[in-house]
Amino acid sequence: MSKQTYVGKNIPKLDAREKATGQAIYAADLQLPGMLYGKIVRCWDHAHARVLKLDLAEAARVPGVIKVLGPQDVTRKTYNTGVLDLMVPGEIGQLLGDVEDQHIFTEHVRHQGDAICGIIAESEEIAELAAEKVKVLYEPLPVYLSAEESAKPDAFQFDERKPGNRAFQLPEAMFPDNSYGWGDVDVEMAKADLIVEETFYVPKVKQCQMEAHAYVAHYDQTGRLNCWTSTQMPKCVQPKLARLFELSISRVNLVSTTIGGGFGARLGMVFEPETCAMAMAVPGRPVKVQSSREEDWVASESRHPGKYKIKLGVKKDGTPVALDAHFTSNAGAYFTHASGTAFTTGSWLSGMYKIGALRYKGDTYYTNQAPSGAFRGYGNPQTNFALEQIVDQVCKKLKIDPVEWRKKWHKGEGDDGWCIGVPYSSCALDECLDRGAEAIGWKEKRAKYANQSGTKRRGIGVGVMNHTSGAMPMLLEHTTCTIKMNEDMSVVITLSCSDLGQGSHTVLKQIAADSLGISMDEIHILVNMDAAGFDIGSHASRTTYVGGGAVLKACEDVKRQLIERAAIRLEIPEGELKIKDQQVLSRKNPEKRLSVKEICHTGVYNFTDPQTGKTNGVPGQIQGYASHFPSHNSPPFGACFAEVEVDTETGEVQVLELVIAHDIGRAINPMAVEGQLEGGAHQALGMTLTEETCYDEAGLCRNNSFTDYKLFGPVDMPKITCILVEQPDPIAPLGMKSVGEAGPVNPVGATANAISHALGIMFTAAPITPEKILRAING
Amino acid sequence: MSSRILPQFALLTPQSISEAVDMLAQYQGQVSVLAGGTDLLVWNYIRKVKPTYVLRLSALDDLDYMNYIPGEGLRIGARAKVAQLLEQPEVAGKFPALYESALTFATPQIRNMATVMGNVLRASPAGDCSCAILALGGQVVLQGPDGQRLVDIDDFWISYGVTARKNDELAVELRIPEPTSITRSAFYRLTRVHEDLAKLNVAVRFEMCQNGCRSARISMGCVGPTPLRLKQTEKLLEGVPVTDELLQQVAAAARKEIAPIADQRSTEEYRRQVSGVILTRVIERAAGTHRIAI
Repeated sequence: MSKQTYVGKNIPKLDAREKATGQAIYAADLQLPGMLYGKIVRCWDHAHARVLKLDLAEAARVPGVIKVLGPQDVTRKTYNTGVLDLMVPGEIGQLLGDVEDQHIFTEHVRHQGDAICGIIAESEEIAELAAEKVKVLYEPLPVYLSAEESAKPDAFQFDERKPGNRAFQLPEAMFPDNSYGWGDVDVEMAKADLIVEETFYVPKVKQCQMEAHAYVAHYDQTGRLNCWTSTQMPKCVQPKLARLFELSISRVNLVSTTIGGGFGARLGMVFEPETCAMAMAVPGRPVKVQSSREEDWVASESRHPGKYKIKLGVKKDGTPVALDAHFTSNAGAYFTHASGTAFTTGSWLSGMYKIGALRYKGDTYYTNQAPSGAFRGYGNPQTNFALEQIVDQVCKKLKIDPVEWRKKWHKGEGDDGWCIGVPYSSCALDECLDRGAEAIGWKEKRAKYANQSGTKRRGIGVGVMNHTSGAMPMLLEHTTCTIKMNEDMSVVITLSCSDLGQGSHTVLKQIAADSLGISMDEIHILVNMDAAGFDIGSHASRTTYVGGGAVLKACEDVKRQLIERAAIRLEIPEGELKIKDQQVLSRKNPEKRLSVKEICHTGVYNFTDPQTGKTNGVPGQIQGYASHFPSHNSPPFGACFAEVEVDTETGEVQVLELVIAHDIGRAINPMAVEGQLEGGAHQALGMTLTEETCYDEAGLCRNNSFTDYKLFGPVDMPKITCILVEQPDPIAPLGMKSVGEAGPVNPVGATANAISHALGIMFTAAPITPEKILRAING
Repeated sequence: MSSRILPQFALLTPQSISEAVDMLAQYQGQVSVLAGGTDLLVWNYIRKVKPTYVLRLSALDDLDYMNYIPGEGLRIGARAKVAQLLEQPEVAGKFPALYESALTFATPQIRNMATVMGNVLRASPAGDCSCAILALGGQVVLQGPDGQRLVDIDDFWISYGVTARKNDELAVELRIPEPTSITRSAFYRLTRVHEDLAKLNVAVRFEMCQNGCRSARISMGCVGPTPLRLKQTEKLLEGVPVTDELLQQVAAAARKEIAPIADQRSTEEYRRQVSGVILTRVIERAAGTHRIAI
């Protein structure tokens, strides 16, 4: 059963065909008998206002309207759409200052798109007509779009628990001086021969998952609340809904629908509370709620924008003696991930280089932008933009090759990891840097582009990164898995890990098929929240690493049971038996064997001979089970190289090539790994060059659609070469490390550094647009 | 504001051009005309417009044509799609500016739906086909209760979103004049990513002779309320050889002649600076072998 038939092979994603042909069923496709349509009425004209009067009478009179719900007609309990409360012990959450500050329908609009009321009608068209008849009288309140504005002493206070509108800073009780790191930064910085200091700006970028948020909820006649959702975290949303609506978890049936992209946009709850509140108001009738892209944009979370101050002190030879950093981020209108992102952004900073002393401060302020939240990479792209550029500035001033500097000073095996106190279990960054540099022609091009004139100038840059495989020990890491052996030896794996489109279910099947020694075709993955045990959710690049670990353990449990039964049947000690080619056989005498199929079959079809009283096998259907808590987080590293061409007369940047070398430990499905790196690079290039959600002075979003917010299209993408560096991690299951969130990280720093190399000018504010470039060139 | 549901409107489906004109006359000013719908429907979803009536041209398939008539030029029916510009064999050779504008226009899906006439009627300063047509010169054929009238493209756009079309007129045809053997044209646009609305677009048409440019038409988009003719700049080009020095003067003149603003696609400063750069590049390309390097 240990032959590797699938692991390490390019297996096409199992759901690719049904998605490409339109057969996959998303929440928006669901049609249930008696279904009603819910419309969340949002405030579109104000970013900050008090609702003085809400008149729903006329809307309620529209024929076909079933119910109109204002703030008082639904639960008044507050909640936080994020899930940190489930991931850390309560006392840690309290220390971090996490608050529940969101309402289903609000009387205090804190951002454009905040929900005012809900309409339930026989059709979406009727709900829309009624929505137009909702009359709201607003009292406009002052609008703050940056931390600097909302931190002013006389600013409107969003939440009395958060004086000065500071949603979060590293708490003194856990982090003296509201910072973390090591050494005495002030003392060490004083010893530096060169200090480079910059303030970077990172933009508010949107996940842009293809499926706009859509849900169906049904409070059925048995008293269960059913919710169809494409959440990334079904087992977190289920208890959160249970708590919000005061139901036991067993009375919340959360149905995972096909996920049309996640990227963090579906981390925790999104519009499930509003949808379920509407369903609770019309027991017995399902309610569907769908959002437009524009609505998705203004009312759901994005990456945290903010200012990233960073100061790096080095000796003449490049030895980094001290690094001082402070990320002040813009939380937007609600708390959500205010603590998580501010904390974690510094982890990727502290996890990267062997610096004499390091101090990181992270704080977050409320504003009237849409809430910031989780986005693939969780603070890492922000750190990459600042850190990798400041390192290149040091290299430039000291005339040190940026690749050589990184090879010398990056952290590696045995060094303190991103989570201080947890050492890195392995590191293949040197090989990533070497092979990446070779593939792109680093030395030749670096020299060739050093002195250019003319309109078109080329540049080449490098960026490295570290990430994690699951969030252990910072956050709860737990996945359960049940493997049921059918009587014909085919398999059903029951778990609650989401497949966001990254191919995790394909990969989990590959792992199970090899472990059990059966064909992938004979395995079905069942994702059912009633049947499956706990899983924290698809986030933190954990599903293959932790979910895969759970699958392996459950397979081991199956195999243990097979051997146990064969030992009884064959009357051979368990220790003498092994499983090979779907047979349990004696190591000493391979003739003594029982087929796995027979053990499975007779466990189910177990008959007793009425004459002898003997059975035809050992009774009981075999089910393997694992409740898996990983012992480590096997962090991956990576090196990205970018080559660009900049038009000095128009400021336009063409990204010519990316080489992405990734420390994958062991690639379970190389093609899927490459897909993650390429897709991530797409998001990284957008953040670096074109993407930013913008607001006007009134706090209204100026680009809440794909017309005005520009992602890279297929034609804009450069040639990408992925290099998978496979040095198996000694701790990880199968030696594997993560890739999901690594993708959008270091192409950011590499591309910014390539532009800087081409022009000799560093750009501190992303996205680096032609407008900014031309202004810099023209002085 | 945005919704997944279109606002309520009455849908009119005339069966003939004259019936369409009658309806336009009857519901003056309350009608949006729907051909490709690539702008109009989006605007309805985001409630930028809320028309009482939508008059669709779906029954008027006799307006689908795109005909090249030797000696006269190109005739584009009101329902002809932007994609047809790429399929019509004469367009690339005789009207390169228009061909190039269609080639980079939006996405293949939108090119298959959007009409050339819709681009002109939208009266957006960013319209790519509009920019090319302004440089090529042409006329819009309007049919009203009293018959047809022709409006020169130079006089067609009044201000942002406003055209010379009267409320009771249906725009039925675009006419682009036949080029001569010495006509050259070219189009170029700047965008944030390939599939985008222009943040600046430029089209030129020259009649080239041995000594340089006999006559020139330059149009530029996203630098004023409508696509602009740069008539002062054109004059600099006429009758003189195209030299580096001349191009520098042309770039400087263009920067003075335009009136750009800042929006979500670019800044005023950038548009002004880059207008001259892009114009000189387009002129160089259009002039081809007539370019004199000094």
